[in-house]
Amino acid sequence: MVSKKIVIVGHFGVGKTSLIRRFVEDVFTEDYKVTIGVHILKKTLIVNDQEVNLILWDTEGTDTIEDIRKAYLLGTHGFIFVCDITRPSTYENIAAQKEYLSSNFNNVPILSIGNKTDLLPKGSISDKKEELDFLDMLVSAKEGNNVNRLFERIAKLLI
Amino acid sequence: MNEDEKLALLKTILLTDEREYAENISAKINILEETLRERQKLSEKINPIIRDELEEFSASIPQRLGPTITETLKIQIAKSKDEVVEALYPIMGKMIKKYISQELKMLTEKVNATAKETLSLAGLKRKIMAIFTGVSEKEMILSNMVNAQVEQVFLIEKGSGILLGSYQMKDTVDKDMLSGMLTAIKGFVEDAFKEKGHDLQSIEYDLYVIHLHSFHKYYIATAVSGTFTETLEGELESFNLEVSQEINKKDIINHRDQLEELLLKNYSNLKFSNQ
Repeated sequence: MVSKKIVIVGHFGVGKTSLIRRFVEDVFTEDYKVTIGVHILKKTLIVNDQEVNLILWDTEGTDTIEDIRKAYLLGTHGFIFVCDITRPSTYENIAAQKEYLSSNFNNVPILSIGNKTDLLPKGSISDKKEELDFLDMLVSAKEGNNVNRLFERIAKLLI
Repeated sequence: MNEDEKLALLKTILLTDEREYAENISAKINILEETLRERQKLSEKINPIIRDELEEFSASIPQRLGPTITETLKIQIAKSKDEVVEALYPIMGKMIKKYISQELKMLTEKVNATAKETLSLAGLKRKIMAIFTGVSEKEMILSNMVNAQVEQVFLIEKGSGILLGSYQMKDTVDKDMLSGMLTAIKGFVEDAFKEKGHDLQSIEYDLYVIHLHSFHKYYIATAVSGTFTETLEGELESFNLEVSQEINKKDIINHRDQLEELLLKNYSNLKFSNQ
């Protein structure tokens, strides 16, 4: 079994913790609790008949990636950059943020995703997907849409 | 006797009884009024009754009011935890202080008694060792009293915090998450002081010392219980170096099964010099 460190980054309140909890514990809560420092969870997946142990580092929300302690990002095998599709300020500088991660942390895979599709009017997800075409996936931690697919996708990129 | 005389006699008989009765009633009312008016007299009458009632009530308090008082106290304590803690803290603190000083006193007496056994073989051996090793005799005695024991060993990749291998005497929380958190704490402390080339060397947790020994690509976190002196820390570090050399020689850093076999073989047999 291989172990891979995945770090989830993004602005305050984009739903990083909710995303991890939905994936690991299959729960969602409306209560917003600020993450302080870092929180670590894990889940084992089977990808291409191989067991992959995903060690998920849930970082506290920051306005820019540079604000996260470098010690938490060292040795990362893959990043998930989470945005809130209802708040443009959370994805405005995404290109620069991804560039910072790539150049400072060994060019490891980065998946950028838009969370909170549950807040979109019905039938408008595909339009939003076209509008935010720089994002790799749209997910909903609240309803669980695409959450497992997201982690399976990054696990496949790492093995 | 004519009619008038008869009537007069009847009146006398009837009125005399009524007057006596009225006088009797009036006297009783007077006594009653006096009793009510004068505190002392009233007390003499009422006090015994109140006393009896009170005694009966006091005796029945545990049964009648106990559950209500307990419930009220529970609610009050729950509502004002901070105040309760504030009130209890000095009392508890004093009790704990007293207990610790008592235990230390007993320990000191024990150490002194052992140190005085100069003529015994063990005593002489200890004295000779103290001269040659430079470790004080009392430190040796203390170390012997609470032997240090390696409880858990984690070999963790630097930076990522990925667990490469582990050895443990008993099951603990998730090893992978623990390795991640240890790395996060280590990283946080080292980052906070902004000085390169310095490593966090140990974390104290309850009765354990988690000793952290950094190598080039990984670090070894060892949870030790008991009295872990600087001498023993030196011994553990020398042991870790030997284990690290063996890992490099066999090139098994990325082979978890073989690595854990090696850790089990080595750390389960690790005995410190004072044991």
